[in-house]
Amino acid sequence: MSTILKLFVFPISLIIICLGINTILGGHITPGGGFQGGAMIAGGLIFCIVVYGLKESPFKLSHSFLASLESAGALTFVLFGVAGLLFSGFYLYNLGVDLYGIIPPAIKGIFNYPDPIGAGIIPYLNFAVGIKVLVGLSAVVIAFLESDKIIGENEQ
Amino acid sequence: MIFYIGPMALGLLMGFILGTRIKPVPESNLKFDKEVYAIVLIAAIAVAYYLGPFPYYKDIPLASGFVAAIVGIMIGKLIFGR
Repeated sequence: MSTILKLFVFPISLIIICLGINTILGGHITPGGGFQGGAMIAGGLIFCIVVYGLKESPFKLSHSFLASLESAGALTFVLFGVAGLLFSGFYLYNLGVDLYGIIPPAIKGIFNYPDPIGAGIIPYLNFAVGIKVLVGLSAVVIAFLESDKIIGENEQ
Repeated sequence: MIFYIGPMALGLLMGFILGTRIKPVPESNLKFDKEVYAIVLIAAIAVAYYLGPFPYYKDIPLASGFVAAIVGIMIGKLIFGR
């Protein structure tokens, strides 16, 4: 890639990543959310990886990091679901909002998202989905870029 | 002026996670020094200002999650990205 592109892509990708995070954070009110924000963050990471290449990319996304991040996202989602099941009897019950008034106020206070809308556990679920999506999409591109190396090793 | 902890904490956390993965590349001819990060921070604050108090908050005239994310990236880079 050209030097001009290499100069601009890293700072721009940081801005794209922040925009993706902002999209995730507004997911409970605005259009968009975990998937869209995660895809935007992955877009920023992929932008860097494609322009600099895997070796020279400033973002070092190792296999163990990606695996642990994806697992953390999935576990967060499941744990919120199980918490709903434990306290209310319904899987993924919105403990922070408590529409049916069946859980103690202390539990409701713990799970409520501290902003004026009071969306309960929805922003946390968006966060978990965002993490999973950013790992999934960037892992696909990394696998494609690594495939040349793997094919070359197999041919030898 | 009211600060909502939710978007700031989550933005900071996610930015921090991604910031830890920004490592120096010895093989590359390009070096991204602290000046680059300072310019990115200023540009990010400008972008956050034009985004407004997203999403429909009325706390500060900035997208607080956006600013928290860039600050999180910087902190993550400073602590683990060396």
